[in-house]
This record gives sequence, C-alpha cells and structure tokens, in this order.
Amino acid sequence: MASSTRGGDMKGFFRQRKKSGAIAKPKGKKSSPKHSPSASFEIASLHINDDYDENKEVLLRQFDMNMAYGPCLGMTRLARWERAHSLGLNPPEDVERFLREAKVRPDCLWDGRV
Amino acid sequence: MEVDTESNIQRKQSIYQSMDESFEIQKEMYRGQQYSQIYFARLHLMRTLLYSLVPNWKPHLPVCTVLGLEEGKECIIVGTLYKHMKLKPSILDEYSKEKSAGPLVKPHNFIHPDDHLVLEDESGRVKLRGNVLLPSVYVTGLVVALHGKETGAGDFWVEDILEAGLPNQIALPLKSGEDKYVVFVSGLSVGNSGSNPLQFQLLVDHVTGHLGDETEQSIAAQIVQVVIAGNSVEIPLGLLNGQNLASKDQSKLSEPIKELDILLTQIAAGVPLDIMPGPNDPANFSLPQQPLHRCLFPGSSAYNTFRSCPNPHSFELDNVRFLGTSGQNIDDLEKYSEAKDKLEFMERTLRWRHISPTAPNTLGCYPFTDRDPFFIESCPHVYFIGNQDKYATRLIKGSEGQVVRLICIPRFGETGIAVVLNMGNLECHALSFGTEFSS
Repeated sequence: MASSTRGGDMKGFFRQRKKSGAIAKPKGKKSSPKHSPSASFEIASLHINDDYDENKEVLLRQFDMNMAYGPCLGMTRLARWERAHSLGLNPPEDVERFLREAKVRPDCLWDGRV
Repeated sequence: MEVDTESNIQRKQSIYQSMDESFEIQKEMYRGQQYSQIYFARLHLMRTLLYSLVPNWKPHLPVCTVLGLEEGKECIIVGTLYKHMKLKPSILDEYSKEKSAGPLVKPHNFIHPDDHLVLEDESGRVKLRGNVLLPSVYVTGLVVALHGKETGAGDFWVEDILEAGLPNQIALPLKSGEDKYVVFVSGLSVGNSGSNPLQFQLLVDHVTGHLGDETEQSIAAQIVQVVIAGNSVEIPLGLLNGQNLASKDQSKLSEPIKELDILLTQIAAGVPLDIMPGPNDPANFSLPQQPLHRCLFPGSSAYNTFRSCPNPHSFELDNVRFLGTSGQNIDDLEKYSEAKDKLEFMERTLRWRHISPTAPNTLGCYPFTDRDPFFIESCPHVYFIGNQDKYATRLIKGSEGQVVRLICIPRFGETGIAVVLNMGNLECHALSFGTEFSS
C-alpha cells in the first residue's frame, strides 16, 4: 500500500513539473497508460515513427520508477536495463530500443536533481 | 660445481587455475553510483536462491513481501537484515549535542544488549522480534528467509530462520596417496622495527629447500604453492603525515618493499607464489583489493611463478578449490557481532554464503552495480583468512557432503608461524620458526 501511494505521489509531482515545463501536450494520453502499463507500451509504439519524444520519455520514466529493476540513481538507463536483462527480470524491449536510438535522455529521471 | 644427479630432488608440481575474475575491477569506474545497487544485486541473487530452498524447508507456508504481511498470519519473508546498533560509531555523533550513548562494553566491539534486527526488501521494512534470531550473531547486509507472523504491534515475530547454507562443492579429486603441500603466510610486516628478518629468511630457506638434510629437503620438495595473505610490508606511519617527503624519506618509504622483493625473488625462483594485498599494503583500501602492481616487485615479477592476486583471492590447485582473504571481512564481523572464536565467524560467512556481508556498511567496498562479487557461488575446499592473532583450524562438514578446511593464518611477523596444508587429505599444521634461544 505504502509504495503504491508513494508512487502516486511521485506521479503527481511529475505532472506538476510538466505543467510548468515544456512537456504539457501528452497529458491527456498519459491518463490512460497510467492504469494499464501494457496499453502504454502500445501507445508508445504507435508513435515510434513520429518524433514523439514525450511519449518515449513517459515510458522511460515508468521504467525508472519500477522498483523491480532496482534503484535507478547513479547509473544510466541503458546500464540499468542491461542489468535487469542479465538478472533475468525481463525488462520491456521497447525501453532498450528507445535508449539505443539515442534521442532520449540517457540518465534517469532523478539524475542531477537529488 | 658438480651436482650428483641421483640425489637431486625434484619439486612436485600441480595445476593452477585462477578464479579471480569476479574480484577484478576492470572496466568499472566511479560514475556516481551508490551502494543501494550492490544491496539490490545481493538481495536479488540471494532471494532467488532462498526462494528455491523454501519449498524444501516449509512447503506449507506462503511467501510474502514485507508490505504484504497480515497480522497473525504465518508466512515466510525474505529480505536483507539491518542491525540497529546503539553503539555503532556514526560520523554525525561529532555534531550532535547529546553525548554518545555509553562506553563500549569491550574495546573494538560495538554490541549492546539493546541491539535489534530489522528486515527490509524493496517494499518496506519490519522490526524483528523473537528468541530464535539472536541480534548478536547476525550482521547488517545479510539476506535470510524468516518464518513467523506479524504481531499486533506491527513487529514480526520470528519462529524460524533459513540461511542460504553451504553452496555445492565440486568433488575432491580422488586421493592419489601423494602429499602435496601449500604454505600460507601472512602479516610478514617487512619494515617493522620489531620484526626479526631472520625468521622470514628461515621460512624462505625452508620452502626453497636450503635447510636441513635430505629428509627435510624432500619434504620441502612437496611444497607446490606459497600464498601470502596480506600485510607483507609495514610502512612507517610517521612518514605519511600529509607533508611532502624529503628525498631521504622517500627511500625510507620504498625500503620495506625492496627488502620484500629480494625475499620473494628467492621464493619465486623455486616455488609458485601468490601474493595478496592486505590492509597495510600499498593497494587500494576498499574490497576487493586489486593486485599489487608488478612494478613494486622488479625482481620477483620476472618469474612466471610470481602472481600478484586480488584480495579476496580464489584459485584451484589440482581441482582443490581455495578461497581466502587477508582478514578484513572477519575482523569487521568481530566488531559488529559475537562468536566464540574466529573460526566460527568464518563458518558463518560460508553458511550465509557471503564472504563479507558487512561490506559496504562498515567495510569499504567498491560500488558494484550489477553484481555482488562476495557472494559465494561454489563451496571452497580450503577457506583461509590472514592476519589473525593465533593459528587455528577446523574441518567443517555440510549437509550435502561438503568438506571445508578453515584456516586462520597468524601474523608471521609477531608469531613466526606459517601454516602448511596437505592437499591430499586437507590436513593442516603450523610451521613455527624460532630464532631466540634461552641462554
């Protein structure tokens, strides 16, 4: 319970950040992926060809926040994906593809903020 | 000089295989990674292992996470232990207005009767209670499975505990009836004003077969390996005060290493030699300590029998597996837990399947992100630690027929004792060199 409410709090925190920041557009889309993570991957993959970096970023942030793959601070997203892969945790393949395309932020959400 | 070929004694040989890969820091570098990563890697590794053991241990009980605990429901939880210690030194004590809790019960031991254990996993942490789990035995950083239930107060009442246990062991090679010996020595402390250079020279002469008659030489010929487990030199502390060194002091600084190199050259010329760094040696501080640089040993590194190894160090000789450290892991356990002797600490680390659970909490450790090199994957046949007060040894047996020889190697500089192990039957004895005669 505690972790899910905490996760909720963090998401709230990020939406607020985004309102003030440049990424406000995908807000409407984001509400649906929040409920079902598999749907979010579909939506994200629909936009691979478009330059919808915001969508990718949303997916990557979800990856950052997923505790199953271990702490995210202090290592690159790709290193974290590779660790999860080598530990047999089956991280989403979309995440790797986005990270290898190199148009996204290589570091995790919290990098440089804490 | 004529050599009588018939009386020539051939030194025995054995096949050496280094298993040090996991202790080597190769491409890794510090990029701001934190210690949470190594705890995650450790928890993941050990939890996967413990989950596989649980069905044989208590198949009828459900497995929960800390967050999934329900009051009164018996279950099994797996997580990392944290020992809350009142007397544990903290850097913040200097800044706190209150004076520290109280005097230490024993010097260099931070145990207090009020210590308690906490279990944590990714989801949360819970305070542990019960008489089964003794806080004085366990330390921070260990991963265990616990059977119990949540009490009304929100604590977890522990009824039983499952440790990972001894790992599987490769079969000991069949006894060939041949005796081959490995010599362990540590704490040579070359350069210490109190140490006697004659003692070490006697050891060198014995190992290389320059002492005694033919019987003794034929025994020396059965020595196939020498292992030096840390603290080979002692650099005068007065010199390292942060000031620039005068040129004559610089030579004083390198003197002990030069002297050591001369002695090691004599050994390496005759016997394969492994040297591990220890806390006093010119190597990095944090575990795993990386091999001492070959440049330090211009004489002995010319021989291919000379190997500079990391600490911890693992290798195989004729399929007998060795694992050892220079003693930091056990010395740290002694500060934060209790046992009747050092061998018991050693046995615990094997049963916990972790060489140094207190790293990185109270023992310096490189911040690994994707693995935990101190996890013991395969059970060694010989487990040694260096730089102890006195020689001690014991043979322990595991539930699946594992047999492990535990060895505490005393500091040679203080005691004049080296340890000799017979690989054929895992028997072990002390080799004592005395140079003082009562008049």
